[in-house]
Amino acid sequence: MVEVAKVVDARGSFCPGPLMELIRALKSVEVGQAVEVYSEDQGSLKDIPAWAEKAGHKLVEIKDYGEYRGFIVEKGEKKRRRKKE
Amino acid sequence: MADKAKIVIIGAGTGGTIVANKLNKIVKKKAEITVIDPEFKHIYQPGYLFQIVGRETEEGLIRDGTKLLPKRSKKIRAAVDKVDLEKQVVHTNDGQEVPYDYLIIASGSRLVPQKLEWWNDQIHQFYTPQGAAKVYDQLKDMTEGTIVVSIASMPYKCPPAPLEAALLIDDYLRRKKIRDKFNVVFTSPINRAFSIETVNTIVQPLMEKRGIDVRTFFNVDEVDTEEKVLYSLEGEEVDYDLLIMIPPHEAQPFIVKSGIPHEEGGWVIVDRETLKVEGYDNVYAIGDTTNLPISKAGSTAHNQAPIIAKNILASIKNSNKIYKYDGHVQCFFITEIGKSLFVDFNYTRPPYPGKPSRRHWWFKLAFKELYYRFVAKGIV
Repeated sequence: MVEVAKVVDARGSFCPGPLMELIRALKSVEVGQAVEVYSEDQGSLKDIPAWAEKAGHKLVEIKDYGEYRGFIVEKGEKKRRRKKE
Repeated sequence: MADKAKIVIIGAGTGGTIVANKLNKIVKKKAEITVIDPEFKHIYQPGYLFQIVGRETEEGLIRDGTKLLPKRSKKIRAAVDKVDLEKQVVHTNDGQEVPYDYLIIASGSRLVPQKLEWWNDQIHQFYTPQGAAKVYDQLKDMTEGTIVVSIASMPYKCPPAPLEAALLIDDYLRRKKIRDKFNVVFTSPINRAFSIETVNTIVQPLMEKRGIDVRTFFNVDEVDTEEKVLYSLEGEEVDYDLLIMIPPHEAQPFIVKSGIPHEEGGWVIVDRETLKVEGYDNVYAIGDTTNLPISKAGSTAHNQAPIIAKNILASIKNSNKIYKYDGHVQCFFITEIGKSLFVDFNYTRPPYPGKPSRRHWWFKLAFKELYYRFVAKGIV
């Protein structure tokens, strides 16, 4: 089971707030660790999985807490490559 | 409380100036108003967009801020070092102590490019008069290449501005009949060009129709200014000849230093309706400096100012009446020279801006004079 190293409560924040909070939080954890972000914004259901896939992170689980959801995202390897060394 | 209530306003930008004038009209002799600002240099910031395409000058945007404020208000030319919320005193950097019964934090946002270790003066920005002038200096001499308009991080002032900049640059190049020699790229941190969906459905197709390469989910990771490459966290890279980037924004440092309730970045936590700072009945925040999830824009402050003024007057009169801000924001969103959208929304009603029109363009064009004559002075 992946380790949730950081929990971010982005409830009360709407698009793009929860996604921006997730991006910020992922910068502060190691590759292989996960961040869980709480969001009550319906837009997160679309935004967060799509962004995680594009950025090379893994959406581990979307937890349903009733009034809000918890998106658990595992940090992947940095995709960036230097064009000119 | 002494005979006259002491109202202190930190900041003489759009929010501070309008709220000072609104208050002056309604509190009359019941209060004395003091405004603290390091410069009293009032800038009409929407004009930066005209500056980048050579249609406005730095001098044209700036007015003496003291002349926009009520004559009888006291003006203290100093930066704020700290606010003592318990003793109700503002301390300035030059050692003055300014006591208050009511405090309004109108200190706006500041640009903090220094937060990014890779930022240097080869990266251009148009959020200062000097920065906007430099963008035009670069643009006017270019004959070909790739121009990138990008956003370093959120939140930033005036959410439409970077999109308008890309559209105006496209327009400028078309007018010079050299558009076919350029790529214009716009990068957005989210999955669409503009955060509000009902506006994006009009604007993103328009940008794409004009040949602007819109890159979504593009969160800036780093810029290599020697090789002229912009890298995203998502693994994309864009070569550029001219890079225009919205720098990161934060609130003023005294907020964190004073322990005023705030979120990351120093944005002051306020009640979204009364605009009172969390935990304080006599402290308000207005405009960019709040943590509200709405545009950091002049019109936001304009709509908030009468609410704060009326709530302070009610408190002075020991009335229980509470006035509430409904989240109203409106702006003109330029799509090209000669056309603009009108975007109007609040906490519960999204904007439905219709099509870009000439009517809204003329209003946008006239607004600088209207702003200085009527809006800043609290007349409308």
